Amino acid sequence: MNKTDLLNTLFGLLLFCAAQGLLLGLYTGLIRLGMSSPQAFNLGPLTHGPLMINGFLATLIALERGAALEKMWTYIAPFSFAVSTLLLMFGAAQSGGYFLLLGSVTLVGIMIYLCVIQSVSHHYIMAGGAISLLIGNLFFIVDSPIFMLIGWWIAFPLLTIFGERLELNRIMRPPKKAVQIFTVLITLWLLSLAGIHFSRNPSWMFGSIILIALAAWLIRYDVARRTIKSVQWTRYSAWSLLLGYGWIIVGGILGLIYGLPTAGLLYDAVLHIFFVGFVFSMIFAHASVIIPSLTGRIVPYSNYFYLPLILLHGFLAVRIVGDLLNMHMIRLIGSYGNVVAILLFLGGIGTQLIRSKNGD
Amino acid sequence: MNRGTDIRRAVVQKLQNVIDPELGVNIVDLGLLYQILVEDDAVRVEFTTTTPGCPMRRYLQQQVEKAIADLDDIHKSEVEMVMKPDWNVEMIKEGVEFFSVPPPPRS
Repeated sequence: MNKTDLLNTLFGLLLFCAAQGLLLGLYTGLIRLGMSSPQAFNLGPLTHGPLMINGFLATLIALERGAALEKMWTYIAPFSFAVSTLLLMFGAAQSGGYFLLLGSVTLVGIMIYLCVIQSVSHHYIMAGGAISLLIGNLFFIVDSPIFMLIGWWIAFPLLTIFGERLELNRIMRPPKKAVQIFTVLITLWLLSLAGIHFSRNPSWMFGSIILIALAAWLIRYDVARRTIKSVQWTRYSAWSLLLGYGWIIVGGILGLIYGLPTAGLLYDAVLHIFFVGFVFSMIFAHASVIIPSLTGRIVPYSNYFYLPLILLHGFLAVRIVGDLLNMHMIRLIGSYGNVVAILLFLGGIGTQLIRSKNGD
Repeated sequence: MNRGTDIRRAVVQKLQNVIDPELGVNIVDLGLLYQILVEDDAVRVEFTTTTPGCPMRRYLQQQVEKAIADLDDIHKSEVEMVMKPDWNVEMIKEGVEFFSVPPPPRS
């Protein structure tokens, strides 16, 4: 087997692991909502967050970066995240933690390598995301409560996506001053995350103002405001992006009002605003680009994809209302609706890929 | 016109059909095509991506290889993604319309 074949095989396996992380993450989300848990695995309700962050997002993002550099060592990152997911699944928390650490450190190494190759703002922002994941996972493996480290876990996908949007939006030629403002805002937000460990609510409230400013910046300078008048995937992507930015503003407003609770319904609402409203909307937005980069094949567009997008945002709104008003049934409907939306989206992607392969 | 120029022109024409899905523009107009070296019946193509961490690298590599393989008169081809010089927006062909090429409805 030559190097290319080896990398392709490894890539396929790791992609499967990321998908497994997502499905297990969704499943444990339902366990959190009261569904009975399986006996075979050590999958309690508390594994939902770690699975979604490390088992899915970190594996996928590290795989994307590794594939971009095409170097064997870069695959250590997604491989470690995938192995740690399996170990945590079978209750081997300690060894799972070591792999989590190895994956996070390697991802930081990948981002440092990219910053060395090209010293540009968007690489530093994405590196900030990888460092946030490392900090969050360090707290996680020393058994720090998740509410203490959650800010760092939120920062990982947010900064990765912010960096990617800044990179893509170079074609809009944003003024140099605007890029500097964006970078300063991100630095301030990272400082506010560190501040949470000393003064939780005031720091989160300050960070919320920064997040609102970042969302406003993205709405102002992202190409999405133009491409929403386009067609097919481009238009779809623009809708997903702008809706995602909207949820950051909502999350920011809630943060300004309530700070960052340590547990409970409000805490759940804040987390899902960022992870579902923003991160999954970004995944939907970038699917037409992510899938070719992962599978080597274009996903033919279909209007069908608006169905899961509408369901994702609609049911998230329902869920947030349920959380804020402490209405269990409403919260349950919204949460199940979100799982359905994500599965419908994945199903649509799979179907379109199969149909295009069969030349239908 | 010599054979090398003809082949280079044919390569460029082929690569104008390779679309960067992220920007909806072909890689030639984006300025991602850096070199086409022709020697006898062999061709070597060097291209770059908009950023070294670009997740589209594998996809673009495959598409470029496929496009070159379709060419007649070429018996040996090599496609390499290079990172230097750094790509920047000034390399984009003037007047290019972004997102004008959505992915085909059916491949």
